[in-house]
Amino acid sequence: MRTIVLQLIVGTAGLLLFLIAVIIVNKAMREVRESVESRRRAAFEPALAVYLGSADSRSILSYLPRRLGRRDRRIVETLLAEAAAAGAQRETAIGRRVAAIADRRLVAAVGGNNAIAAPAAAVVRDEARGRATAAFEALGSVDRALGDLDSHRWWRRAEAAERLGVMRCPRAADRLVRLMGDDVGEVRMRAAAALGLIRGATSIRPLVAALSDPSRWSAIRVAEILVGVGHEAVDELLPAWDNLPRHARLSALDILARLRTPRARDLMRRCLSDPSADIRARAAHGLGLIGDIGSVDALQEGLGDGAWPVRAMAAKALGRVGSPVAVPALARALEDREWWVRANAGEALRHLGDAGREALVGMLDASDPYARHQAVAQLEEGGVLDGWIADLGSPDEARRGSALRAIEKIIALGRTDHLAHQAASIAEEGVRRFLTEALRRAAPAESDEGADRDAGGSR
Amino acid sequence: MNATGLLTELVLVFNRYVLYYFTLLNAVYLLLLVVSVYEIFRFVRRTFFSDYEQILRSELSWPISVIVPAHNEARTIVETVRSLLGVNYPEFEVIVVNDGSTDDTLQRLVTAFGLRRTDRIYRRTLPTETVRGLYGSLEIPNLVVVDKVWGGKADALNAGVNVSRYPLFCSVDADSIIEETALLRVVKPFMDRPEEMVAAGGIVRIVNGCDVKDGRVVRIGLPRRALPVLQVVEYLRSFLSGRSGWSGLRSLLIISGAFGLYRKSEVIAVGGYDRWSATEDLELVLKMHEHLRRARRRYRIVFVPDPVCWTEAPATLRVLGRQRNRWHRGLLQSLWRHRTMIFNPRYGAIGLFALPYFAFFETLGPFVETLGYVVIPIAWWLGILNTDFFLLFLIFSVFFGIFLSVSSVLLEEISFRRYPGWEHLATLVVASVVENFGYRQVLGLFKVKAFFDFLRRRRAWGRMDREGFRAPEPVGR
Repeated sequence: MRTIVLQLIVGTAGLLLFLIAVIIVNKAMREVRESVESRRRAAFEPALAVYLGSADSRSILSYLPRRLGRRDRRIVETLLAEAAAAGAQRETAIGRRVAAIADRRLVAAVGGNNAIAAPAAAVVRDEARGRATAAFEALGSVDRALGDLDSHRWWRRAEAAERLGVMRCPRAADRLVRLMGDDVGEVRMRAAAALGLIRGATSIRPLVAALSDPSRWSAIRVAEILVGVGHEAVDELLPAWDNLPRHARLSALDILARLRTPRARDLMRRCLSDPSADIRARAAHGLGLIGDIGSVDALQEGLGDGAWPVRAMAAKALGRVGSPVAVPALARALEDREWWVRANAGEALRHLGDAGREALVGMLDASDPYARHQAVAQLEEGGVLDGWIADLGSPDEARRGSALRAIEKIIALGRTDHLAHQAASIAEEGVRRFLTEALRRAAPAESDEGADRDAGGSR
Repeated sequence: MNATGLLTELVLVFNRYVLYYFTLLNAVYLLLLVVSVYEIFRFVRRTFFSDYEQILRSELSWPISVIVPAHNEARTIVETVRSLLGVNYPEFEVIVVNDGSTDDTLQRLVTAFGLRRTDRIYRRTLPTETVRGLYGSLEIPNLVVVDKVWGGKADALNAGVNVSRYPLFCSVDADSIIEETALLRVVKPFMDRPEEMVAAGGIVRIVNGCDVKDGRVVRIGLPRRALPVLQVVEYLRSFLSGRSGWSGLRSLLIISGAFGLYRKSEVIAVGGYDRWSATEDLELVLKMHEHLRRARRRYRIVFVPDPVCWTEAPATLRVLGRQRNRWHRGLLQSLWRHRTMIFNPRYGAIGLFALPYFAFFETLGPFVETLGYVVIPIAWWLGILNTDFFLLFLIFSVFFGIFLSVSSVLLEEISFRRYPGWEHLATLVVASVVENFGYRQVLGLFKVKAFFDFLRRRRAWGRMDREGFRAPEPVGR
């Protein structure tokens, strides 16, 4: 027994020393590695910048100061990737160098002609990316990355897909499309991101199909990629709509809405009568983002939908579309039984200018206490209440009287938090006195039946 | 049998029990360490490919309500709120709940952020003490301050949940600072598995010794005093090789109140936070486990090792004692409340592994250890102490303790590398050794006292004396 314990102690002590040694060696190696990498970067960066900023047909190999070893090649690939990502932009050290060289070329080419300077800069950026792609081919990086796509380690496949995306190599598109069927989600996502960078119809179609991935995170990432692709994505999304499952349709609606494409208007209007409440709500949201005046009637109908998320989204969308035609319907929605609908309707009215503001003021007399309270909250949020408080100090008696009546109405509703705060802190003596007096006259505040702040929920 | 004979028999039985206990406990620790190493490496590898930028840019990310309960936190509250308002996240709101503070917490907030009383409307889904008023700002529309009558931290969090607008809420302590990317990182499991995720917790690190400017940790350092340094090692061990392991075994019971993200609907479904509990965070997680297991739902409560929350650690033994007393009492309260789950196969790994571990090792452990220090001289006096064996046992137990702590430092160095200097690593390794001589024993005594306080139904929260965050020294000094 004693021997066993002794052996355990020796073993544990040895393990302990080993762990401490690993900590020290690991940190030391990392620091050395970082220092060597930094020296290598400094050695290759100027030559790479000259290559990327030039326009001749020489291979990258003739620009490099020495033959590339394995580690050198990794650094060169990293620098090229940074440059390809930034183009001739000033986001990275190499990007700044390339930009400086490109600027000199630009000045020589266009002289002082500002009209063509900007398009010429864009051409230079594209050229730099194109030269980076050619460099990757010349260095054999594309073939190596394609080989790594067959690795049995998922992170190597993912990394290879990422590299191919950065290289923007069109001949990798087919392999990346196949990789979209990989078992590991991260690999599929890297492939999707790479396809998004390569673009072209063959790249976008599998991305649209990938919206069917059940993970929300994957859907978000693919959606982001498709938004990044821009209007080319709309060409694929609209024809694919009928074959997409429900959750993919939700993502598709989000993408179309974010692209704010009027081409999706008819589809979204049709979706307002979809059996799925989620689809109807997203469609309403999308029509709001597109800002489609022609959808106001359909959205007003949405305010009567049986599902409250649809009513809430329709209210929000009407606020975004900005048509005063919707004011009466939104005022009615202030009396909705669901809090979110009331809140969105109130916010929409606040955004509808004078007509919306008048409707909110009118709702102070509504029979529904929840509608009255929502109206007060929105008038306060929109600064109308502060405007009335300021009017208390106006020399115009009519204006002062009107403000006082409005404020007294709010005090009668028991919504005095903001008024009391202003009465205590406002600088202008006359206004403070008026307000304090109004609050004192009304005290104790009349409270609506069961509609104090804490009970402002759904009914 | 005479008294000496009886005592001898008792000591021998105790020794045998201690040996089994010690072997089993260290086996669990080792298992947790192995699972943690696997989990952290998996996390780091996946993080390499995780485009947090995309969550940041996306309009489709879940919006989050950050709730900060504050009771007499005037010293740090403004910096905490500044740090929260500066986080990188597409859509979030910060709700500070001033829970009956008797200092100028509310006034400082009003002054610093130009707040005004508002008549904002909200649902009172969870019962709370009376809300005196809500404050908002036109300039910072995503900041709300709730002023309420004192009801304790749980009550304040419930009030925050009521006022919150978004489907996820994040609880953050008022004496804590979360990193800019913390919300992006902690929300990711919710994005990965939206149907299953219920709660996620991040790592809590100690801010003592770090420089804080405008609510941001601008220089990471270690505390100057010994006691907080020992807590740095303890936290590393507890989070990196403790909670990661429990999370990997799908048995995570604790999400720190200092920083945790929850699905609001699930929290409301279990009735929110409990006022009677000394550790409302543990009780909430246990309640959710119980509720969801009973409902036979597939769900996940996970620990994410990277989103960092920096918090102030007690700098004196007295304050540390109060803090640990509360933590241990809270654990005992929750274990007692959920005692029917222990060894109950209906609750899966929680009922068969995690709860029995906490019941037998966390609850009895301090007694066994403290009793051990009493039994050794008795055994020596009775002449039954095998000195060689005792010394070997002692050395092995100390070495194993050091091994666990150094492993956590190694995990930290390989994965997250928050402490940049050689001197930091050296200090952490030395602290890993030193904590076994005195600190561990003192913590055991705190727990023994907490056990008796629990039996006496003592409910004090325990005042936390804070020093506040340290600002960077001006250049040139």
